[in-house]
Amino acid sequence: MIEVRGLHKHFGKLHVLKGIDASIQKGEVVVVIGPSGSGKSTFLRCLNLLEQPTEGEIIFEGINITSKENNINLYRQKMGMVFQQFNLFPHLTVMGNITLAPMKLKNLSKEEAEEKALNLLRRIGLEDKATSYPSQLSGGQKQRIAIVRALAMSPDVMLFDEPTSALDPEMVGEVLDVMKELADDGMTMVVVTHEMGFAREVGSRVLFMDDGKILEEAKPAELFNNPKHPRTKEFLAKVL
Amino acid sequence: MDFSFLRGYYVYFFTGTANTVILALFTVFLGVIIGTFIALMKISRNKVLSFIATAYVEFIRGTPLMVQLFIIYYGIPLPVPDVTILGMDMSRFIPGVMALSINSGAYVAEIIRAGIQAIDRGQMEAARSLGLTHSMAMRYIILPQALRNILPALGNEFVVVIKESSIVSIVGIADLMFNTNVVRGALYKPMEPLMVAALIYFILTFTLSKLLGKAERRMRSDD
Ligand SMILES: Nc1ncnc2c1ncn2[C@@H]1O[C@H](COP(=O)(O)OP(=O)(O)OP(=O)(O)O)[C@@H](O)[C@H]1O
Ligand SMILES: [Mg+2]
Repeated sequence: MIEVRGLHKHFGKLHVLKGIDASIQKGEVVVVIGPSGSGKSTFLRCLNLLEQPTEGEIIFEGINITSKENNINLYRQKMGMVFQQFNLFPHLTVMGNITLAPMKLKNLSKEEAEEKALNLLRRIGLEDKATSYPSQLSGGQKQRIAIVRALAMSPDVMLFDEPTSALDPEMVGEVLDVMKELADDGMTMVVVTHEMGFAREVGSRVLFMDDGKILEEAKPAELFNNPKHPRTKEFLAKVL
Repeated sequence: MDFSFLRGYYVYFFTGTANTVILALFTVFLGVIIGTFIALMKISRNKVLSFIATAYVEFIRGTPLMVQLFIIYYGIPLPVPDVTILGMDMSRFIPGVMALSINSGAYVAEIIRAGIQAIDRGQMEAARSLGLTHSMAMRYIILPQALRNILPALGNEFVVVIKESSIVSIVGIADLMFNTNVVRGALYKPMEPLMVAALIYFILTFTLSKLLGKAERRMRSDD
């Protein structure tokens, strides 16, 4: 579904991604782990071109989206993204947050968009928050709404950048539960996280990144129980 | 102190005040249009546009309004009609409004730019990640939020323009300051007419500030 070939990213002189090759299959949950500053977020943000790669190609559903001829906005509609800081739109209600993009981009009528939004909200048990503003929600609720906002575009893949890192510990579970359900429904997901429990339980594959490269990748059980690379061992020893 | 002259001369203050308000209204209206374009140019990724906008803002803010006024009034022969509307000579009024709004536009541009750039980067990113184009994201996500920062500051700019506009009296626009000087000259009274003018300016700006404060509090409590 997504093929990454020879991906490099520089921020000025800083060489952040140093040649990444990866492929993500339909229905997979790929978890990306690694120390802070290793380039995990940058890698994820290159997948939907929120960061412009300096070099390399991203092939999404057979189309080279890094090529200038392709309209990235069309492909972003099929790649939902969830941010660490939620980034809900504070001037819109929950309903407004969820329905804006489907109405503007998919020409859904207000009724259609709201019906779809309500169905999604029901799935996460927040239909009573439809008319609330983001400032009236808890962190966990905000992040679940942010997930629903992305889902409302019916994406083929969901990208998560540390979706639980900004949450109070007691709210981490409710967000991970929603993500787990999504995975069970067969959603293709790329998840940057420090939640090793989630990686182990839900991940189909784990990528370990260090210093702008993927040093190791394997099924979770194998990578956690039997890491090959010394840097992976060192990292896991610290976080587990 | 003797204010009995007001009985005979109040019309001067009255029309002067009206003209000052009209002048300020036109100035702010045009200043907002100019300022919006300059602000959008300044934050655009096009280096040429953003350079032009930056140069404009820096030049206007770095030179006295009086110099700008004289350049436009005396230095640039504008094809302005020699007609009088509402007692105002258009051949003076139009260059006056132009100078004021070109000047105000630079300040408004900074107000708008700051209002837009105060919005968290994550808002644009979230909007773009959904597939919205840059201009849709601006229109539906960034600008509505920026407006909350911009509107109160624009109100202040209106107050500033009311005061600063007094300078156009030197090119003969019959605003409050000009008419005050007319009364002063006619009466050989140095002080009293100026005190009346000061009081009127103060009432205008003070009332406006209070109204703006109220509107702003109302807007804040909306969310
Ligand atoms: N917009 C940017 N401009 C300049 N440098 C950046 C930018 N974004 C990231 N970097 C730098 O790139 C490096 C990798 O950052 P990145 O956010 O991808 O790391 P990360 O693995 O996600 O770390 P964390 O676990 O702390 O989120 C860091 O050194 C960071 O300072
Ligand atoms: Mg990160």
